[in-house]
Amino acid sequence: MRGKLNGRLVAAIVVALILAFIVNKNWGAASFFDSKNLSTFLVVGIALGGIYAITAGGLVVTYATTGIFNFAHAAIGCFLAFVYWQLSHQYHLPLLLAMAITLLVVAPALGILLDRVIMRRLRDASLVVQLMVTVGLMLTIMGLTLTIWSPKTSRTIPHFFESSKGVQIGSVVATWHRIITVVVALLVAVALRWLLYRTRLGISMRAVVDSRSLAGLVGAKPSVISGASWSLGCMTAGLAGILIAPETGLVVENLALIIIVAAAAAAIAQLKSIPMAFVGGLIIGLATAFSAVFLQFGKDYSYASEAIPCVILFIALLFLPQARLSTGKIRLTKRTERLTKPWEALLGAFAIVAIVGAWANGWIPWFTGTTFGERSAIWLGRGAGFLVFGLVMISLIPLIGWAGQVSFANFAIAGIGALLFVHFGGGDGNPMGIVWVMLVCAPLGLLIALPALRLKGLYLALATMAFAEFTDKVIARHPSLLDPSNSGVLYKPLKILGFSISSAANDRKAFVMFLVITFALLFLMLELLRRTRWARRWIAMSDSPAASATIGVNLTTSKMAVFMLSGAMAGFAGCMLGLQNGALRVDSFPMFAGLPIVLLLAVQGVRYPIAAFMGVLGLASFPAISEVFGNPSWLTQLALIGPGIAAVAMAYRPEGAVFYTGRDVAGLLPWRQDARDEKKLLEAKEREQNIGKDEINDLGLTRPFTEDKVAQLDRVLAITDLVDEKKMVPGGAR
Amino acid sequence: MTEPILSTQDIVVRFGVLQAVSHASIDVVEGRVTGLIGPNGAGKTTCFNVITGLQEPTSGKVFFNGKDITNKNPYKRARMGIARTFQKLEVFGSLSARENILVAAEQRKTWDRSGFDPNAVCNEMLEKVGLSDVSEFMVGTLPTGTARLVELARALALNPRVLLLDEPSSGLNEDETEEMASLLRKFVDEGLAVLLVEHDMSFVMGTCEYIHVLDFGTIIATGTPAEIQANPVVQSAYLGTETVEEAS
Repeated sequence: MRGKLNGRLVAAIVVALILAFIVNKNWGAASFFDSKNLSTFLVVGIALGGIYAITAGGLVVTYATTGIFNFAHAAIGCFLAFVYWQLSHQYHLPLLLAMAITLLVVAPALGILLDRVIMRRLRDASLVVQLMVTVGLMLTIMGLTLTIWSPKTSRTIPHFFESSKGVQIGSVVATWHRIITVVVALLVAVALRWLLYRTRLGISMRAVVDSRSLAGLVGAKPSVISGASWSLGCMTAGLAGILIAPETGLVVENLALIIIVAAAAAAIAQLKSIPMAFVGGLIIGLATAFSAVFLQFGKDYSYASEAIPCVILFIALLFLPQARLSTGKIRLTKRTERLTKPWEALLGAFAIVAIVGAWANGWIPWFTGTTFGERSAIWLGRGAGFLVFGLVMISLIPLIGWAGQVSFANFAIAGIGALLFVHFGGGDGNPMGIVWVMLVCAPLGLLIALPALRLKGLYLALATMAFAEFTDKVIARHPSLLDPSNSGVLYKPLKILGFSISSAANDRKAFVMFLVITFALLFLMLELLRRTRWARRWIAMSDSPAASATIGVNLTTSKMAVFMLSGAMAGFAGCMLGLQNGALRVDSFPMFAGLPIVLLLAVQGVRYPIAAFMGVLGLASFPAISEVFGNPSWLTQLALIGPGIAAVAMAYRPEGAVFYTGRDVAGLLPWRQDARDEKKLLEAKEREQNIGKDEINDLGLTRPFTEDKVAQLDRVLAITDLVDEKKMVPGGAR
Repeated sequence: MTEPILSTQDIVVRFGVLQAVSHASIDVVEGRVTGLIGPNGAGKTTCFNVITGLQEPTSGKVFFNGKDITNKNPYKRARMGIARTFQKLEVFGSLSARENILVAAEQRKTWDRSGFDPNAVCNEMLEKVGLSDVSEFMVGTLPTGTARLVELARALALNPRVLLLDEPSSGLNEDETEEMASLLRKFVDEGLAVLLVEHDMSFVMGTCEYIHVLDFGTIIATGTPAEIQANPVVQSAYLGTETVEEAS
């Protein structure tokens, strides 16, 4: 016990020293003891912190009562802020009425809808599916909002009582908007606390988290409760969205990004304590205000202040207690699959090269006539882009699919890889540079995962998303990685076997072929890797961490190995990403750009290497569909909405398209007797579980019970168990 | 009495105000099946978790082979020779039965230098527990009883010195239970130490040489099956006279 405390104390001192160093180095001109500065800092910080607290509190309430972390929380808030804008500024309703309609009608309705259609199905889903669905929901809502309210028009929500002066506090004027914000935040905190601890509904909500079945026994209605939780979540999200929109502007990306703030505050709250979520929100608000008033980041780190929530999230993760290896939470899927044989994998690799090769060379007649089929330079360039994304996808298969470690950082790693490649040889067309980039990206992948290795999987997802945002705002904008004055192509073509490989129009066909061949080789490598002890150990670790540990698996080193493998593969994808982009800008790798890649892979089935190729086809389908319809305005956001909706649909089909297709197709192949056998076995098992209905309805009237049937019924109805229990506990004393 | 290979001393586990285990001392001896019985919620599985390192005890110590292992990681304990099965299945559902066992056998390679072939060990175990026919099926699709045998084979593939079995007979029918008992007997005769948590009293009384009775987290009795059945404290606290007669 003492050892742990000391460890934390040391960590706290180290973190404090680093922060003190950063603050000292970037201290601006403002004097801390100037009362005007100090009160500006406090007024702005507390008001901002209040808004963050509201959204974080709502996020923690829904997580604590439903067990689902809602990545779409801030996106929902964003959508509701737009609804409020529409009502108050387009339909000119009085502000209070518009707000009441938004928060008391639209928000609860949205919450109940989400609960009914999506969230209820996620209750027993795996973490991977839960994360993919809510991230998909985030992209869907962002896409819909952008479609309804085109970002080309600029909109603002004015502050409350903008014309009046506000209140003089010290030497600073606190605007009415800020005062209202703080008061509302306090009211929400008190109301949430009261609801959860003093009302019957709230107490049932808390009971449901501990045990759904037990809560049902004592009369709580789980369906009412989860509906109430989601409504409450949407209301807090909407309130925060409306309050913060005047500060950040009514911009979808900015408002949806508040999820990182909410996640950081939720991590401080350990995802369960509402008061701590408010404290967390306040800390982030104060830190942001502190940096705005006192700090002056150098030009090399001009966006650093936007990364403050990410840094706070990382720090919070360092101080979370280690996750226990829990048992008894195994979800047995009814998935049937068998190992791909090496010759089948080889066949698959050839098929991938053949399909893409045929398209790139114009041998597929079906596409002729469309710009898609004509392989215009644009489409060859797009094709290369999709294959590069495919390389990012394939890097996720061992990580997410096998080891069950959900990471949203691989696109960011690829981005860093692309930037490094400029300096490591790509700028001179040296292929060895790829190797160096992979060697750097492997430990980088590990480094990102390190703070979350000892924590439960959800925190890893949060940490990686925060890292992706941190990369966009700090790392990828550093001039030593990317010279902002250089806007030209940064790479020389790679010369391989006499082919020139680059994004230049003449080289594109060779580039596509090079990409698909390396993609197919990685596919083959993963299929072969799946047959080795490494993959077996990763899958075992993901299926049951506790059982893995008790057969001698060192979970930490095992996870480290898979992060390094995935990081190296992402590094390779990064080199290709750089080459494909040619010229890079400071904002080439936004966090949101990486999400559809992960989602489309998950939709296809993240366990199967072939899913990465299906994901590539999925990516290609969005611009193709848009083109078929003549690029109408309502499809402009398809690249967001498409992957988003597909991922949301995983609530209904959790295993991924490749699995469902593969299961049915395999049974049709003449040499797959095993697939037919396994299907039979599965059906038999389902019959055993469903026996109750059919057989009891018969009640032995139409045909006599056989002894086997009676035994089977006893087993199903757990009658033998009851007899055992009676032996154990005479008279049911316990 | 021979020196126990595994022993716990005064284990206390507290969850908040609830004392799940209080001052439990259990000895497990090689070549013998030791029973750990008690009503539901008596703290049996918690004891298993403490022994295998999944649960940190509030106080008390665990000794293995004379060494204090209280602060060792679960995987290090496995490498020393402690294997277990779980009350609620903890199989690797998306691997085949063969792969489940193979993972364990391959894992054993990292510390056992006897030069065995993991594939051979795997086949041997499949044979012994009678899973050869279903070895290529994904365990998630197998019936519970069969999956339980996969867990047993996985534990045995580690060639452990101590095997902890948490209700191995639940989900098995009578024939399967008997088969499991005779299989256990074989391994125990070769020197394996077994600690058995079980509700099936005839199974317990038939297989165990020595029994600890746990009630409300406290060991209320220890002794041979005959002694336990005759112990009035045990009878009044939990077994019930009728049942004991039935079982003996």
